[in-house]
Amino acid sequence: MRERITFVQKEGDSIEPTALKVDGNGLRGPEVKAVREDRLTFALDELPAELKTLLEGVNQLHIRWVGPVAYEAVSPLLARLPPGFHLFYTPGSDTSTNPCPLLNKAFGTNSCSSPSESFTTLPTDRFTHSTAHQFYQPLPSLSAFTNFAKSQLCPAGSSTQSFCESRLSSLNKASQLDISYDTISHTLRLTSLGPYGSQSLSASLLSPSIRTEVGIISTASPKTLEPHEVGISGLLTVLGQQTAPSPILFSFPSRHRDAASSFTSRFLSPTGLHPTLQLSISSPTPPKASPNPETCRLHGYFTLPKTIFPDRYQLDDELFLASKNLIKVRYVTPGVDLEAPEYVMTTWGSAMLVELAPPSQGGEGKGEWTAEVPLHLRYLAPSVTGYRTAEVPYPALFWACTAEEGTKFPTNPFEKDKVGYDGLFGERTVFWHLSPKPEQGDNRLVNTIKVPVLNLERADWVTVGTAAVVLLGFAWVVVKLLLVVFGGNTVDKEKKKQ
Amino acid sequence: MTKSSATGQPMPQATSPSTAPSLVATFFDRPLPLYLSAAVFRLVFLLYGLWQDANSPVKYTDIDYLVFTDAARFVSQGLSPYERETYRYTPVLAWLLIPTAHVTGHQILDVAFFSSGKVLFAIADLIAGWLLEKVLAKSMDGPRARKFATIWLLNPMVATISTRGSSEGLLGVLVVALLWAVLERRVTLAGLLLGFSVHFKIYPFIYAPAIVWWMDNESMFPNKTNPPKSSQPTSLTTRIINFITPARIQLAVISLTTFSTLNMAMYLIYGHPFLQETYLHHVTRIDHRHNFSPYNTQLYLSSSLPPSLSPSFQIEKLAFLPQLLLSALLIPLVSAKKSLPTSMLAQTFAFVTFNKVCTSQYFLWYMVLLPLYLPQSSFLKNKKFGVAALVLWVLSQGAWLQQGFELEFLGRSTFLPGLWLASLGFFGVNCWILGVVIGDVGRL
Repeated sequence: MRERITFVQKEGDSIEPTALKVDGNGLRGPEVKAVREDRLTFALDELPAELKTLLEGVNQLHIRWVGPVAYEAVSPLLARLPPGFHLFYTPGSDTSTNPCPLLNKAFGTNSCSSPSESFTTLPTDRFTHSTAHQFYQPLPSLSAFTNFAKSQLCPAGSSTQSFCESRLSSLNKASQLDISYDTISHTLRLTSLGPYGSQSLSASLLSPSIRTEVGIISTASPKTLEPHEVGISGLLTVLGQQTAPSPILFSFPSRHRDAASSFTSRFLSPTGLHPTLQLSISSPTPPKASPNPETCRLHGYFTLPKTIFPDRYQLDDELFLASKNLIKVRYVTPGVDLEAPEYVMTTWGSAMLVELAPPSQGGEGKGEWTAEVPLHLRYLAPSVTGYRTAEVPYPALFWACTAEEGTKFPTNPFEKDKVGYDGLFGERTVFWHLSPKPEQGDNRLVNTIKVPVLNLERADWVTVGTAAVVLLGFAWVVVKLLLVVFGGNTVDKEKKKQ
Repeated sequence: MTKSSATGQPMPQATSPSTAPSLVATFFDRPLPLYLSAAVFRLVFLLYGLWQDANSPVKYTDIDYLVFTDAARFVSQGLSPYERETYRYTPVLAWLLIPTAHVTGHQILDVAFFSSGKVLFAIADLIAGWLLEKVLAKSMDGPRARKFATIWLLNPMVATISTRGSSEGLLGVLVVALLWAVLERRVTLAGLLLGFSVHFKIYPFIYAPAIVWWMDNESMFPNKTNPPKSSQPTSLTTRIINFITPARIQLAVISLTTFSTLNMAMYLIYGHPFLQETYLHHVTRIDHRHNFSPYNTQLYLSSSLPPSLSPSFQIEKLAFLPQLLLSALLIPLVSAKKSLPTSMLAQTFAFVTFNKVCTSQYFLWYMVLLPLYLPQSSFLKNKKFGVAALVLWVLSQGAWLQQGFELEFLGRSTFLPGLWLASLGFFGVNCWILGVVIGDVGRL
């Protein structure tokens, strides 16, 4: 087991090595504004038996959790995903392995029953770095996982239990959590990111047997920096081994960058059963920092829970798309049922990648603009109020730019891969992210819709009433038929009168 | 039209010569003006549709047409039409539309090829109208027959549906052709058409009992003097033996052979998806998005309950009983021998009214038979009554549409009671109209 704690400050912020106190058990320093990243790396043998057994039957398993509360991203930790619980999964040779029971236990998810029922299949022919399956569920909190992690990782009754538990409690405040496992590394990596904010620089050794690295870094721009690279400078300390931090300066190519623009997402009113999601984007121009802006295309990546879906046939018409400021739907989860009600759907929902059409850069090409994504609600189960709420996470919006031929993006220490959309682009694509701004005062990156459903409080008479009216109608027609058969005389009489 | 409809009595020639030959009268004197205008009418709709599709984000073309043409593209590539999601039709339809998948690279030619399916549907409309005229002409003169055929031929709703690319018009021509073939005593042709239309859309099977019942020796050989009725009551056995006539056997054998041959062939070529999408889907479907059916709210309610909570008695499981009793048994028994066209209209009306799913496309199924019934109907004999019935039908439908609009576009929960009551109201009006149609059968 290894541990890495990194405090990431904004560019220009730094701290003097003398401000840090390092001793055998930890590191202490002043209060700074930073993002704290905690990373634990486990060898397979160090894991609890249940998890170990599961992972032995798995080829790749990547969990990406993003909290619903808006957070400020700090370079180089810039990759973004729609808020919620994402799973990217490739089974091992035994395809009957079912990660769902353990995932439900660990995260409190409830819509995962088995890969064949709940997961969707990702295109593996397009780019080989994609996993085989995808799963998503809205999950506003990590509290279930925090408790699970405490029970699994903090040995009960040991001297370190309370310390371990208090460390893990910080997961409740995390804005992101990544768990990655693949058969090549045979290690499980757990990374949590706290929100950007003031905090004291402090890190302590979990146990003397664990190698713990503490870094305090910020982005730097040395003169030798290549355009596709991110420079990092700061201080690094290996707890227990070093008594003073050593300065570091390095750079690496990064696939996730900051576009320095923002967007909000909201549903146009009235929503009805065919709601339109409107994206308001602060700027129509590609990121100025991109070395090759002419290759940049603005994309939106949506994970839509099963309450709502896109109709890929409707989104196939160029004129229709153009009227919504969209260019093309690049990907939709195949096989999305276009008719079934939500309560019979077993798969999680659908993912969609759409290329947006920014207004031309001449003339009115400055300032905020909008694009609309037409969606459709499924029928939801009846309720006692006649309405239910559907929650739709914000999409991830980014400019996808192609780096120059020959550019390589080797794995970097802050890399976040398997984010869904990266599997839909080539290896040389750089994602310049727009930061999502919450639409409502609650600071959440989730759009809600009030969905009309059948009102159960008024449903008592439906069965009886329907049966009665149908029988009445039937009886009326039968009576008319009987009159034709036995009422011949009356017609004859009428004829005689004439 | 207002003037011509005033001559709704069975003796038009007595009244028309007294007035100067009006434009309306000359229009119906010969077939050409009517069919030419019906064709031009559809051509205008078709071209307008092309313009709207090319210039507006709101499409004229029906979504279903894109389903058919996608399926036709798969078929033209040697694939199964069921590769296209929501293709729920016989592969024959996709085969018919193979020209729509043809790409030349020339823009105008490609549009023409793509629209060829709509042209096919529009031509089917015209043929249905022509067959209507031929059936009507059996009991009235040509101009009057054409006047009634106009209800179909120059009906904007019919022209819109076919030029938007909905295949219901194709079914219209099959059903009228079936009726025409029966009335012409062309049993082989009738059998082929019956087998094919049931393969195409299932519901025309309700016509089989009516046709079989109608096909007694009196109807089949109207010129032969019937043997004088013996005073002795015929025994049940004799009646059964008399019922089994060569014509009836011929119809049964040919229609069943056509139906099963087509199905077996399709199953051999396309396998289970053919069965699933064309037939089984209608049994297992649970996509109860709101529609006109009186059962709709009930279906939504019961489909959402977990199996443990649902009551043992479910009326929607019995919905087929009143529907089939009326449309396939009682109505044909009572009406087929009195008037086959009116019986078929009443059967279709009952089938659609009592169906578990009912959308406005289904109205076309009985609309094609309407011109054959109207000449003897109380709706036309008493104009005020006819207008009142039409207004009632439109209003009750409008009430439903209003509730549906509030739900669909404004997001108001109108399922209960609004939409439910509106669908029951519309059902009631339809039952009443059906009763009037059946009452008219008694006066024939």
